[in-house]
Amino acid sequence: MLEIGGISKRFGQVQALDQVTFTVQPGELFGFVGSNGAGKTTTMRIVLGVLTADGGEVRWKGRPIDADVRRRIGYMPEERGLYPKMKVGEQLEYLARLHGLAAADARASVERWTSRLGVEARIRDEVQKLSLGNQQRVQLSAALVHDPEVLVLDEPFSGLDPVAVEVMSTVLREKADAGVPVIFSSHQLDLVERLCDRVGIISGGRMVAAGTVDELRTGNAERIDVSGPPPGWADALPGVRVLESGQHTTRVELDGTSDQDVLRAAMAAGPVHSFAPHRPPLTELYRDVVAAPAATEEGA
Amino acid sequence: MTAPLTPGRAVMLVARREFTTQVRSKSFVIGLLVTIAIFAIYIALFSFIGSQSSSNSLGVTSSTAALEPALQAAAKAQDRTLTITQVDRAAGEAQVANGDLDALFDGSPGSYSLLGKDTVDSSLQQLVAGTVQQATLTDALTSAGQDPAAVAARGTVTVDTQEPLDPERGQRLVLAIVVAVLLFMSLVGYGSAVAQGVVEEKSSRVVELLLSTIRPVHLLSGKILGLGLVGLVQLLILSAIGLVGALTVGILTIPTAAAGALVSAVIWYLLGFFLYASIYAAAGSLVSRQEELQSTVAPIMFPLFIPFIFAVSVLPNDPRNTLGTILSFIPLFSPTLMPARAAMGVAPMWQVLVAIGLTILAIIGVVLLAARIYRNSVLRTGSRVGLREALRSRS
Repeated sequence: MLEIGGISKRFGQVQALDQVTFTVQPGELFGFVGSNGAGKTTTMRIVLGVLTADGGEVRWKGRPIDADVRRRIGYMPEERGLYPKMKVGEQLEYLARLHGLAAADARASVERWTSRLGVEARIRDEVQKLSLGNQQRVQLSAALVHDPEVLVLDEPFSGLDPVAVEVMSTVLREKADAGVPVIFSSHQLDLVERLCDRVGIISGGRMVAAGTVDELRTGNAERIDVSGPPPGWADALPGVRVLESGQHTTRVELDGTSDQDVLRAAMAAGPVHSFAPHRPPLTELYRDVVAAPAATEEGA
Repeated sequence: MTAPLTPGRAVMLVARREFTTQVRSKSFVIGLLVTIAIFAIYIALFSFIGSQSSSNSLGVTSSTAALEPALQAAAKAQDRTLTITQVDRAAGEAQVANGDLDALFDGSPGSYSLLGKDTVDSSLQQLVAGTVQQATLTDALTSAGQDPAAVAARGTVTVDTQEPLDPERGQRLVLAIVVAVLLFMSLVGYGSAVAQGVVEEKSSRVVELLLSTIRPVHLLSGKILGLGLVGLVQLLILSAIGLVGALTVGILTIPTAAAGALVSAVIWYLLGFFLYASIYAAAGSLVSRQEELQSTVAPIMFPLFIPFIFAVSVLPNDPRNTLGTILSFIPLFSPTLMPARAAMGVAPMWQVLVAIGLTILAIIGVVLLAARIYRNSVLRTGSRVGLREALRSRS
C-alpha cells in the first residue's frame, strides 16, 4: 500500500500542501483531481523525492520511501522531457539502466514497451523528429520500461488523441490489474470517473475528498429528476430546493424531505413521466466540493 | 529484475552516456579534424619557411667578381646558401627581370649598386653591404700601412654569461606556448560543454525524470567525468599528433622535455577541468535556456583568459616575471600558467607541487559549493536563479 501521510510543503509565503493524506492500494487506479495550482504536481514530486516535504512521510509497504524504492516507481512528470537529440531506443535503454536494469533486460524491455505502445518503428529516430503524440508514447514507455512497482503519472492524458487515450487507459488498467498501485492526475473528469477505482480531490493544498465516486456521492443531499409536471411546480414546496428547471424536467434537492412526499406533490401538479434519483457525475461532485471551501473562506 | 543501483554505477552510466553522445556528435569529429588540419598546416609552413629563408642567388659583373670569395665567406658565416653567377650587365638585368637572379651586384668602389626586380631581400642587402664595407675598410687600412686583423681585434667585444645559455630555450618556449594554448582550448571548450549539457537537461525538462531515479550529485559527477574524459581524449590525440609531427619535421629535437610537458599538461588539464567544470555546471544550472547561458558563463572566462594571455605574451620575453610567478600559484590561474612556466624550465619542482596542492584544496571547496548551487537550482525553471538564492535555498 502506498501511503501519503500528512505531507506539507511551503514555497516562500505560499502553503502549497497542507497535511495531504491518502492511500493507494495495490491494484488500484487512483485519480487525482484538482484545479491548477491545487498541489497535484507538488504531491507527486514529493512522492518521487524530486522535492522534499517540510513535514509528513510517504510510505510504501509500511516503510518510508528511500532511493531504492523510488527507483522502482514509474514516473511521468507534468513537464514532459526527454533528450531531444538522443535516439528513442538508446534513451529508453539508458533510463531503464538508471532504474537498475541490466543491459540485456533493458534492451528486451525497450523492445516490449515500444511495440506495445506502437512506436517500435521509430526506435532509431531522434526523439525530436517524432510527432508530439509519439513523443508522449515514448514518455509513457519511459515510465514503464523498468517494470515499476508503483506508477505516478502527472497528466498522462493531456495532449493525446482519442486512440492514444484508449491505449493509455488500457495500459494503466492492465498495470493496476497486475497489482501495481497507479496514481494519475487529470482534468478530464469524465475519464477519471470511467477509469478510476478511487478519486482524490485536492483544493488549495488540502485533500477535500477521497474515495470511490459512489462514496463521494454519499453525504450529499438526495437529488431527484422529475419529468412531466409543468415548470415551476416545485418552486413553493417546503423542504425542497430547485436546482435546475427545464421545459420537461426539474431537478430538485431534498432537504430531509421524504421522496414519496415529493412524488405526491409532483403528481398533484401534473402527469409524472419519470421520477428518478439523480446520480451526480464527478464533474458535479467536484464543482460542489471545490466550491465549498472557497465559500466558507469568503463567509469567514 | 531490478538490482539496487550503487552510486558508482549511477555515475558511470551517466558518464558513459555523456562520453558516447559527445564523441559521436558531429561537432566533436569536425572540431578535431579542423584542429588537426591547423596543426598540419602550421608544421608544414614552419618547415617550408625554415628550408626557404636562407637561399639566394646573386649575379655579379666583371667589375664586382673580385668580391665573390668574400661574399661566399660571409654567407657561410651566416649559415646561408648563396649562389653566385658571373654575367654581363644586360644579361644580369634580364635574369633579374625573369626571376632567375634575386639581385644583380654591379659597379665599382664609390658607385656599387644592387639591382632587384621590385625589392631586394633585406638580409641579402645586409650581406652585400657588409662585405663591401669590410673590403673597403681592409683596403683602406692596408694602404695606410695598418694590419686589418689587428684593428678588428681591438674593436671586438666578447659576450659572456654567468650561466651557460640553454640551447633548447627556443624549443621550450614553443612547448610552453603550445601547452598553454591546448589547456586553454580544452578548459574553455569542455567547460562550456558541461554548462551546455546542464542547460540542455533543464530546457528539455528531462532532468526531472533523471532526478526521480538518481541524486543530483551523481548526475553532476557523471556529466563532469564523461565530458572531462572526452576532453582528455582530444588533448591526447592532438598532443600525440603535434609531438610526432614536430619531432619528425625537426621543429622539436627534445623528446624528453616534450614528453615531460605532455605529462604535466595532462595533470593540469585534469586539475583545471574539475575546477572549471564544476563552476561551469553551477553557472549552467542557474538558467533555463541556452540563450541565457552566455551572460552567466562570461565571467568564468576572465580567470582563464588572464593566465593564458600572460603565458603567451609576457612569459616568452620574461620567463622569470615576478607577477607571473605569483599568479602561477593562485588556483584559478595555475592550470595554464604553471605548466607553461614548467615547460619553459623556470618553475622548480617544489613550486609545481605547491601549486598542485593549492589547486586540489580549491577543487574540494569549489565542488562542494557548485554541487550546492546545482542541487538548489537545477529543478527551477523560468527566470534566472540568483546566485545568493541558489546558495541559500533548499528544495
